[in-house]
Formats: sequence, C-alpha cells, structure tokens
Amino acid sequence: MELCNKHRKSNGEYDIIVPCSGGKDGSFVAHQLKYNYGMNPLTVTWAPLVATELGRRNLDSFIQSGFDHVLGTPNGVVTRQLTRLATQHLGDPFQPFIYGQTNFPLQMAVRHNVQIIMYGENGEVEYGGDMTNAMKPSREIKDHDKHYFSGLPPEFWTEHGVTARDLRPFTAPGYEVLMANRTEVHFLGYYKYWDPQENFYYCRQHTGFQPNSERSEGTYSKYASLDDRIDGFHYYLGFVKFGIGRATSDAAHEIRDGKITRDEGVGLVRRYDGEFPQKHYLEFLDYCGITDAEFQAVVDSWRSDHLWQKTGNGWELKSTVWHDGDAGANTLG
Amino acid sequence: MTAMPEPIHLAKLRLIPRLDIKGPRLIKGINLEGLRVIGDPREYAREYYEQGADELVYVDVVASLYGRNSLHDIVRTATRDIFVPITVTGGLRTTDDVRDMLLAGADKVGINTAAIKRPELIREVALRFGSQCMVLSIEARRSAAMRWEALTDNGRELTGVDVVAWAIRGVELGAGEILLTSVDQEGTRGGFDTELIAAVTAAVPVPVIASGGMGTTAHMVDAFTHGADAVAMADMLHYQRLTLPHIRAAARDAGLDVRSDAVITV
Repeated sequence: MELCNKHRKSNGEYDIIVPCSGGKDGSFVAHQLKYNYGMNPLTVTWAPLVATELGRRNLDSFIQSGFDHVLGTPNGVVTRQLTRLATQHLGDPFQPFIYGQTNFPLQMAVRHNVQIIMYGENGEVEYGGDMTNAMKPSREIKDHDKHYFSGLPPEFWTEHGVTARDLRPFTAPGYEVLMANRTEVHFLGYYKYWDPQENFYYCRQHTGFQPNSERSEGTYSKYASLDDRIDGFHYYLGFVKFGIGRATSDAAHEIRDGKITRDEGVGLVRRYDGEFPQKHYLEFLDYCGITDAEFQAVVDSWRSDHLWQKTGNGWELKSTVWHDGDAGANTLG
Repeated sequence: MTAMPEPIHLAKLRLIPRLDIKGPRLIKGINLEGLRVIGDPREYAREYYEQGADELVYVDVVASLYGRNSLHDIVRTATRDIFVPITVTGGLRTTDDVRDMLLAGADKVGINTAAIKRPELIREVALRFGSQCMVLSIEARRSAAMRWEALTDNGRELTGVDVVAWAIRGVELGAGEILLTSVDQEGTRGGFDTELIAAVTAAVPVPVIASGGMGTTAHMVDAFTHGADAVAMADMLHYQRLTLPHIRAAARDAGLDVRSDAVITV
C-alpha cells in the first residue's frame, strides 16, 4: 500500500496511529498494518463510559497478541456529568465518549509525531449517517464538529458549567497544531476489502477476540459493540429519534454485505429493533444521576409525531419495514 | 481428578459431519456467530457420505432466529443419493413441522428453541413418531464451574435453564438422543468441552452426540473417552483439514469401536 510506504519510518518511532478498542474491526486494522504491511503502529483506546468485562478482556488479548497500546481515561466525575448533560440536552449519552474516541487519536498523533491515523471504516457511512465523505479515503479534520459532534464540540459544554480544564481530555488539538503536524485521517476500508464478518473470523484467530455469550439487547449480533454497558441507550435513543434502531443498522449492513437477505433482515428488525436495554438500565440511571421519570421524559421529548403514535400500551411506530411492501409481512407469517 | 468409570457403549461410535445451513448455503460460524459461506451443502453432504460418514446432521442455524425453517428442499434432494441416517434440526415448532421434515426424508429431528419454550412438544413428537427420531438439541454455555446454561436461537438467547437438568427432563419426556453443542467451543478447534460431555452422558441413558470444538483427532478420542456416543464435526471437514477416512483410522488406532467398513466406493 503506497500510503504505508509514504509514512513508514525506520528510526523506531511509531509511524501510524490505530484507534482500537480490542474489537474485531480496529484489531483487524492494527494486525494487518503491523504484520502484513510492516508498519509500527501505536494503538490507542478511548475508555468506554462503563466498560464491560468482555470488552476489557478482548482489549487485553489484543495487546497480548503483540501491540503497543495507550488507554485514555478521562476523569470519571466529569465524564458522568457530561453523560448526564448529553442525555438531557442531546438525547444521546454517548456524546462524551464520541468526543474522546474522535479526538484522543488526534492528540496521540501530535504527541508521538505521527502523521497518519488509520480507522477501519467511516462510521458515518458504514452505519448510516452523514454521507458527505462517503467516497473519500480520508476525512477532513475541520469537518469534525459538524460530522461527528452534531455541531456541538466539547467546548460547547462550558455553557452548562463544565470547565475548560475538565473538558481538556475530550478536546482536539488546535487546528494549527494538527496542520503543523500534517495529521491525516484515513480509512482502511477504502484501500482493502472491508467485511466486518470476516474481521471477526480474522481476529478470533489472530488477536484472541471473543464474541459475547449472548446477543446484545436491541439486536441479534454477538460480535459488535461489546465494550460499553451504556451504549444500548445510545442505540435506543437513536431508535426513538429516527424510528430505526440497532437491529435495523446491523441488518441493513449485513444485507449490503450479502450476508443475509432482505427478508431475513426484516425478520430480525421485527423481532429485535427498539428493544429496551433493560439489563443495564438501573446502572445507567445511577451513572447519570437521573431518575427513571427524568429519563422517560427525555425519551418522550424526542418522539416525533410523524414517526410515533400513542396506543393503549404506549408508543407505536406509524410505519415499519415489515409493513412496507410484502417482503417482511410474508416472512414470519 | 477422580477416576471416571469407563463409558459403556452398546452401539458403534459414530462420526457425524455437521452441516450448518443458512438459506441455500452451507455456512460456518465461530461460537455460533458469523455466517461465513462455505458452499453448496449438497456437494459437501455427498462428499461426506462418500467418505463414509455414519450419519449427517443438518442444522438450520438461523431458523428460530428468523422465525422460519427452510431445510425441506435441501433434505429432499440429499436423500436421493445419500443413504445414511439424516438428522435435521432448526426451527421445528410443532408435530406437523416434524412430520413434514420426516416426509422430506429426515430420519430424526432435533428440537431446541421450541422445546425450551414448551417442553411438552418433546412428548408429543415422541408419542407420534417415536423416541428414536426425537433428538433434543442443546446449545450449552458454561456459566460457572461444572455448570452450563441452555441457549436458544443459535446461541443468542439465555434461558436460565440448567443443561444437565434439562437433558434429564428431556429424556423423561421422550427424547431418544441428545445433540449437545458447546457454544464456548464451537468453531474454535480448541477441543470439546469434555466436562460437559461427561456431565450429560453420566446423567442420561440415551446416546449423546458431542458437537463443538474438534480440531484434532485427539479431541475426538477425548470426547469418546468422556462418554460421547458420537462426535459431530464441521470445521475440520469443511476446510479440508482432514478427511473422514483419516479421522476414522485415528479412532481405530486409539482402540475406539467405530464402523470399519465405512468408506463407500462409487
């Protein structure tokens, strides 16, 4: 890969940053770059809000399989405060994690004099989101606030009483600093065939990756997004806002990849989409310091009339993929 | 370690290729996750039959998950030129589903998810078609030392059901055989969960097919010495790491009582 040749160093310094939680995708990227392309990657992880045991075990296995690694962990009190604020104001508890996940690799690139960061795939494109950069192999750092932070960078929260000092680990290096470092962000998925399922098989063999022992709530898969006990609420609120949840995202992805048929995907969506993440609910409330009633009020505030209607038992989507045409309706009959 | 009594086997030990199916294709997962396509199940089944398989097990791995079952055509085609017993499992929910599958050519049916939801189904199938064709399929996940929990829906849903207790209950209800899959070991080539095999075979009098984890012929020997009556294998055969005649020879060399006239010359 020409890009690797351009950045490869021979002086012992790290030559590429790979953001990686120890999951199947980042681990695949790191393993390929180090053991197939001869790069010297520094792998970096931004700590989950509330880590799962399995996620931590997978990260440890990944490191033990032969990688240098840095874990960035922000102040727990501040992170909880940001999680509560983001839940209340944005309807997304994951926003503080996304800040660090996006910005920590940039900080590490500058710190270690590394000019390239390699992700697996552009999440906005892979999971459905902003398609502006769908056909580009790299991403514009100046677009970050808009694309990744919904227009609200970490600094926004000073308006809600979080100090600049507290926000420090969540912020990006200054734009001039990044330019001076000539930092580039690339996605391996543009250069090599990208197949998350094959990444699973690869990492099961090479980096000790283990799937979950049961499916994640809200979807059917056992091998994706395993690291954080809070992330079910991110997907659930996405379901409330947009009418499509994690099972839709996963199924659509696997349909595009040719792993399952549309009928199968519709069956899975019908069965699992929008399932409430009950397992960690009390822990989540406790973590955020909000009550059940407060959280339900947040949820309901994000329900749009054009998506939801009130029924006897609560809320119901006005239109669903299994009523759209005959494909789904016939599947489960 | 306490010395275990020698397992008593009344019939020949069996070598059973396991074919996990999604839609029209043979697939292979790891820990019952992933749907990597291996190929056309008809070709693989035929090949394994010619290599001398004692039986075949077809598993529609996603039938319960997707709320359907779709193996009829594959089974119907297979039974035209395959003449060893065929067990079909995945998505069978009623005695009528079982009847349809037997009419399609299956010799035995395996039931997991539907039986956990309604254990009486085991009795109904056994009464209507006989225990010889009622295989209780169990997906076992290790939950603590010497304890396993039964999963459903292709190893996705926890049930809280204890595997050993469930095996005993299943046999009381009329199950004539158990297909015992270790979700922890499945697809890993790391060896069978021999403690699981020993625990279940010690608890029930019916034959147990051990599934999940075979990576070497030594693993197979382990499974048999821990009480298995048959071993299921997939990864080893699908990826052509070994052939059945080789595996059978290794079993014989280890002094195991497997069929010796198995290779079919076509």
